[in-house]
Amino acid sequence: MLPYLKQALGNLFRAPSTEAFPKGEPPAAAPGYRGRLVYHPDRCINCGLCLRVCAPQCMERTVEKLENGDQRVTFTFDMTSCTFCGMCADFCTQHSITLSEDYMIVGTQPEDFLVTGTFIKKAPPPRPKLTPEQIAAQKAKVEAAKRAKEAAAKAAAEGAKADG
Amino acid sequence: MFDRWMDNSMSKSPWIFHINAGSCNGCDIELVSVLTPRYDAERLGFRLTGTPRQADIVVVSGPITLQTRDRLVRTLAQVPEPYVVVSLGSCPRSGNVFKGSYSIDGPLEKWTHVDVSVGGCTPKPEAIVAALAKAAELLAEKRKEMRR
Amino acid sequence: MDAIGTLLWNLFYLLVFPGLLFSVAVGLLLAGLDRKLVARMQRRVGPPLLQPWYDFLKCCGKETIIPRHAKRAIYLAAPVVGFVALLTVSLFLPVMGFTAFSTVADLVVILYLLTLTSAAMIVGAAASGSPFAGVGLSREMVSILSYELPLVLIILAVGRVAGESVGGVTFSLAVIGEYQAANGPLITHWSLIPAALAMLFVIPCEIGMHPFDVAEAETEICEGTLAEYSGPPLALFRLTHAVKMYTMTALFCALFLGGLTTGLPVLDAVILVALCAVLTFVTMSLPHAVCARFKVEQVFKFYWTVVAGLAALSLILVWLGL
Repeated sequence: MLPYLKQALGNLFRAPSTEAFPKGEPPAAAPGYRGRLVYHPDRCINCGLCLRVCAPQCMERTVEKLENGDQRVTFTFDMTSCTFCGMCADFCTQHSITLSEDYMIVGTQPEDFLVTGTFIKKAPPPRPKLTPEQIAAQKAKVEAAKRAKEAAAKAAAEGAKADG
Repeated sequence: MFDRWMDNSMSKSPWIFHINAGSCNGCDIELVSVLTPRYDAERLGFRLTGTPRQADIVVVSGPITLQTRDRLVRTLAQVPEPYVVVSLGSCPRSGNVFKGSYSIDGPLEKWTHVDVSVGGCTPKPEAIVAALAKAAELLAEKRKEMRR
Repeated sequence: MDAIGTLLWNLFYLLVFPGLLFSVAVGLLLAGLDRKLVARMQRRVGPPLLQPWYDFLKCCGKETIIPRHAKRAIYLAAPVVGFVALLTVSLFLPVMGFTAFSTVADLVVILYLLTLTSAAMIVGAAASGSPFAGVGLSREMVSILSYELPLVLIILAVGRVAGESVGGVTFSLAVIGEYQAANGPLITHWSLIPAALAMLFVIPCEIGMHPFDVAEAETEICEGTLAEYSGPPLALFRLTHAVKMYTMTALFCALFLGGLTTGLPVLDAVILVALCAVLTFVTMSLPHAVCARFKVEQVFKFYWTVVAGLAALSLILVWLGL
């Protein structure tokens, strides 16, 4: 008990080892800390891999069809459901999901915990309209190329026979 | 005057009662670390009590399992007004990875009002301190409302 | 006119100076100081000095829940009885040279009133009808048994030394004070040093401070005796706890450090508070910071062997006239 007594009495004259936090800025998290999720909708390609690997199913994808055929895709990440495992960030080929070092996830309303992002997925360009002549010309071109290839193969085979 | 004093001291002396509703123990450890010398929540007046009768802030951690549900509701009914409920970590608000399990009957909103939530799995002690400080402010507001 | 004057002075004693206001203020200050010192010894910042006062006010502002199984009248009366008994003790305690009320055997009265305070807590806990309170009150009884024997031995030893002039043993704090004024504080009397040491151990157990707080072990038995209390009755119990810190340290001062007076009651009061603060640090904060909570049987064994042994040694030495 004596060493404890010495330590306790010594501590009276040492500065406390307490962080000043609630008064000042919160201290930075350790490097590599997995905190609040950040979503970059401009990089997302809507592959849906993150939805498949998320164990607590904290993400939601809503797809809305626009008039011109485009799709408005919205991803919503619920931070009160996330386990911060980082699987989504690992699997994201485009690095559109990253985990920041912001750990201060405190709020009173459910909206305080949502991370959302929206992007518009363009519909593929319409196919060019072709006239019947153009189609015929294209077909003829393909046929000609095929015939030329066959003829070349035949000639090569005969040449090999003559040599042999 | 005495009433004003009581209002003011409400946020200066909030006592915490912790309910483990099927938590994995991660959040429980972090909550205890809030009272250690490094984070020292006692300088804000916080104190961990052993009985719900003396609690001002009820901290709930863990998804609400079927086994703890009845005990949770019964314990919350014994806390004297005004009190604030803090949900600790992701589990109480959503179920986290246990979502959809046969033995989970959450979220916590189904059984009580949740005033402050902390996200994270587990939250850092700094985030818990910030949430508790916010809860203490809410406590003073609730007391003023109750008096009206 | 004279009667009214006496009455007014008595009211002043009762409500302001050694009574309600002074003892509550000093008690809360000592409690705050104890928490701050413990925090500093653990390298924490610690709560503000006025924290017990905030705690008290906050508890006053909470709802009072009376359990279904509780005996309502006893449940609510117990904290009041305990607090009033303790306030009465503070009236008998001399503030260095100044005593509000003095009787022939006030030490006996103090002994009974201190037990009444603990008994009120036991009765209140029993009336609350909670099993945790049941365990707590049985532990409280054990701790009362533990410290009561050494305390009586100490008082006998002190009374024997101071009672030489009146022949036999004295139980009057006034006589003890006069003896000390004439012959110097009793702590300088070498055969009483073991008794003073024993008294230092009795103080924290009587108050129920940390290493000896078997009855209120919040982690094991949910605050024990206070398990069902909430709101103003709880506030009163907390206040009783704080005032007890003043009462016990002042009793030590009266028994072993008495007789020193400056003549001015105000200055005397300041000196007493300073002495109480030092005693609080030595007897409560230091063990709190260094020790973990004892088990019930450890407390009992410790007090009936070591502490009671010290007190008995002192008593034997004194009785032999050394």
